Amino acid sequence: MMTKVDDLYYIEAVRKGDVQAFSFLVEKYQKLVYTLALKLLKKPEDAEEMAQDTFIKAYQKLDSYEGKSKFSTWLYSITYNACISELRKRRIEFKSLDDRQISDQDEQKMHDYYRETKKEDQEKYLNLALEKLPEDDQVLVTLYYYESQSMDEISMITGLTVSNIKVKIHRARKQMYSLLHEKLKEEVYSLL
Amino acid sequence: MNKLDKQFEGMMKEVRLDSPSPDFMIKVMSRIQAEAAVQHRPVQAYQPVISRKAWIIIGLAFLALLIYITVSGSDTATESTPGIWSTLLGSVEKINSTGMTSVWQKGMNIFGTIPPVALLILTASMALWTLDTYLTRLRHHSSKV
Repeated sequence: MMTKVDDLYYIEAVRKGDVQAFSFLVEKYQKLVYTLALKLLKKPEDAEEMAQDTFIKAYQKLDSYEGKSKFSTWLYSITYNACISELRKRRIEFKSLDDRQISDQDEQKMHDYYRETKKEDQEKYLNLALEKLPEDDQVLVTLYYYESQSMDEISMITGLTVSNIKVKIHRARKQMYSLLHEKLKEEVYSLL
Repeated sequence: MNKLDKQFEGMMKEVRLDSPSPDFMIKVMSRIQAEAAVQHRPVQAYQPVISRKAWIIIGLAFLALLIYITVSGSDTATESTPGIWSTLLGSVEKINSTGMTSVWQKGMNIFGTIPPVALLILTASMALWTLDTYLTRLRHHSSKV
């Protein structure tokens, strides 16, 4: 709630003509906007340009932001839609993965196994597994688990239905554990 | 969120986000400053150099002056024109002797009786009006671009 209040304070300041107040919003959201763009567009230079364009667009359209949703939700929807239209222009489609069926029990085992690995390796394996997911699933997982956006908010960002998001996130989580398991297994074999 | 979701959330929260280039903020803010200069330029109401009221006063004063000169007659007019005005009138007489009409002479006589200060005000007003018209046209042209 505090975040929303903070954001609204700066948004109002920008609307009243204090352009510099926008730098607070850029500072706060630049990493996630860039991360989302990078997950979808892949190339850092494209992602950087897209992230810049997102903030410019947000500034231009700031008067149309009514405050009904979180500013972050509104901002991520600009990012997502701009990236999707860019990918459509380039006729690039999201990669797909085989649907891996893992039981909840196996998922728990994989989680315990992951936690037993060295702390410094955990992030590396997690990033490797995340990169293997289809691009749109990477975005969903990041928004839901990292950014704690609700299913409804993700639906506003992506335009997907809540039920579709629920299925995709559930499947993505299982795929992530499966991919993590593979990566960790590869590591064990390389050590032997 | 169930237990598995919560565990996975805990893992994901440990991931560091990707960072844009260090000068990302500067780049964005400079673009926004440029955007703001265009988008939020304060709209100033157009103010002519000489207001309509001032033009009416100038016009009435000039008209009153002309009436005064016409009514007061040519004798007094000739007396009240020292220096360059008498030279000007002399040259008008010369022109007249070469075949100018008497109407032209009368007009020039009246013109000659106008005090220099009044002529100066008239010239300055015309110059301001010309500049005002030019700047107005320039403003309309640049707003279309």
